[in-house]
Amino acid sequence: MGHQFVLLISATIFCVGAVGFLIRKNPLVMFMSVELMLNSVNFLLIGYSSFQNSMDGQIFALMIMTVAAAEVVVGLAIILTIFRTRHDMDVDHINTLKG
Amino acid sequence: MEGETLFEFDFFELTRATVTTVVGLTAVLASLGVILCSSPIYCALYLIGHMICLALLFLLYNAEFIAAVQIIVYAGAVMILFLFIIALLGGKKEIQEPSTERSISIIFVATMLGELFLSATVGPTKPVEGEFDIQTVAEVGGSAKAIGLELFSRHLVSFELASALLLVATVGIICLSKFSYIPVRRRMK
Repeated sequence: MGHQFVLLISATIFCVGAVGFLIRKNPLVMFMSVELMLNSVNFLLIGYSSFQNSMDGQIFALMIMTVAAAEVVVGLAIILTIFRTRHDMDVDHINTLKG
Repeated sequence: MEGETLFEFDFFELTRATVTTVVGLTAVLASLGVILCSSPIYCALYLIGHMICLALLFLLYNAEFIAAVQIIVYAGAVMILFLFIIALLGGKKEIQEPSTERSISIIFVATMLGELFLSATVGPTKPVEGEFDIQTVAEVGGSAKAIGLELFSRHLVSFELASALLLVATVGIICLSKFSYIPVRRRMK
């Protein structure tokens, strides 16, 4: 499959993730949407590294996975802490930094 | 004889193209399921399906090691973490009603999608020929070994920085989850 397929699929997944991040109010689902966006970029990198016979794209994808794992772990810990202090899972209601 | 081999080759390419298209469309549909389901547990399950589809796509694009890492790290570790948190917090259903902000954000992202599609239809860009084609990767001894060769020669500093990032994240979540924000005096009572 050619370049166009990879570009179209990954652009679609990225935009679906962006919509999910903007319209959902549950912080967990927002995190999942961020994962969708990161994954679409991973797919683009791997597709192009396959087209251009290079390993650089795969190494970039590996780095993105590392960063995403660290980000998810820290973000979920923050969500858990927020939920412990105020039992509310709507991001629109969280408007103060000091609980 | 020669025509037969040509036919076989075409058949292989056709199968490959069909499988790639089907798996790609499944990935898109699963990502739609992630953002459209009200209950977060279904979102997480759809996301697992999406990750597995993407791992299959990585396999189809000659990245076996990254596909295995995708399954282990994402579909294994990260999604299990998500499911634990959902089980801990109780996956309450989210009421989704249309609002002005929603339509504005959807219009914004639809514009972005249109721009991305337009940019996807440009002609061929200047190709960069790397040194790792399929034969070279096979000669080296597989995708994992080729990645290792590149990672530990040209990208060593970024690899070490990534390990430092993971260490900082570990220390950070221990600090976040160990200390409660309630003052100690009130906790002792």
